Amino acid sequence: MNEIIYLIYILTFIAGSVAGLLFSYRQHGEPFVRSNINVPLLLMAILGWVLVVNTSLNRLHLFDTSIGFFLIAFVLGMRPGYGRYETVIGILFSIAIYTIKHLLL
Amino acid sequence: MNLMAIIIINVLISFLFGSILLGFHRKIMARIQLRPGPPIIQYFLHSLKFFFKETAFPKTASMPFYLSIVCILCGIWIAAIIIGPVLKGSLLLLFAIYAVYKIVEHNAGSSSGSPYGKMSCVRAVFSASSELPLFAVIAIIYLQVGSMNISDIINYQSIHGPLILKLPLVAIVLFVLILSKSPYSPFGITKGKDIISGYETEHFGLMRGYIMLSDSISWYMLSWMFLTIFFGNLSVLSYVVGMLVIAFLTGLINATTPILNPNHSVMSQISMALIGLLGSLLLMFFVF
Repeated sequence: MNEIIYLIYILTFIAGSVAGLLFSYRQHGEPFVRSNINVPLLLMAILGWVLVVNTSLNRLHLFDTSIGFFLIAFVLGMRPGYGRYETVIGILFSIAIYTIKHLLL
Repeated sequence: MNLMAIIIINVLISFLFGSILLGFHRKIMARIQLRPGPPIIQYFLHSLKFFFKETAFPKTASMPFYLSIVCILCGIWIAAIIIGPVLKGSLLLLFAIYAVYKIVEHNAGSSSGSPYGKMSCVRAVFSASSELPLFAVIAIIYLQVGSMNISDIINYQSIHGPLILKLPLVAIVLFVLILSKSPYSPFGITKGKDIISGYETEHFGLMRGYIMLSDSISWYMLSWMFLTIFFGNLSVLSYVVGMLVIAFLTGLINATTPILNPNHSVMSQISMALIGLLGSLLLMFFVF
């Protein structure tokens, strides 16, 4: 049964990557040159990473982890360069929340 | 769950995750070479693309052979998934599958009639003479564990700790085997760019799609085998991290190392296999 859940995670990750790639090609005709942060994408990255890291992979929360994988992949899978800073901030934010929730409280 | 359903799901997982890993490998190589590189989903998209492209057949191809060899290539790696992650069967069967894979590589090159394919076909025989000794170090695992069954190896490690601490040289040798299977490997003489794409050169459309599918499954399978043999029963998260680390390390090595010529490749792999075999025996009998 677990295998089906992992398959769903992989499929949502792939769907997110494809959606992110198509979206970024529609938004940006030019290669990555700017270094400013896109706020909606930043929110998506933070939400995605927080959902995946904090709902914890081994407890198999199917719905929220799948959404998390989709959002992570959407930002990560954009044209090379785009989404890079948003992803790093998302990872740091989710680690901070995990640390506060599991180690400090 | 039905065994057939488990097999299909495992094959799908290995194809999808294997292609993500190969995409990640390509990304790592690009970043080391100061290129942006394609998105990590690119390998998967390429595989899909070939399934929908027109399939052309070279006039020089030996048709029944040319078609069937690709099906066999796919079949043997699916069999590896059944023996490995699904049934946790014998390592000896995986060794046999790898031996058949080298024969398939040889025949895929010769069946197309292309001079590049034929050159790759000759090189496949060379590489078999070096990669099979690399895989043969699993004999040391048998001496240590007393069984070739993957489930027994996992049980052994749950009692005695990970095998990588007891047999580090065997782990290095099997890592070299994985390295030689990775794209742009210094030991990848059968697909060296001096012979275009080696045995894949004359495989187009659907044929190439099946070859890429097999490559994804084989990459996942070899990474899974390495992690299971040397680290025991890991959680899914540990498998994911371990496979990403293997892809990272092989990408790092491949991006910074030129492809060796066939003689150097074969001799260095045989030397590593010998050092691994003899060194592990010495370690087993005099240190542990």
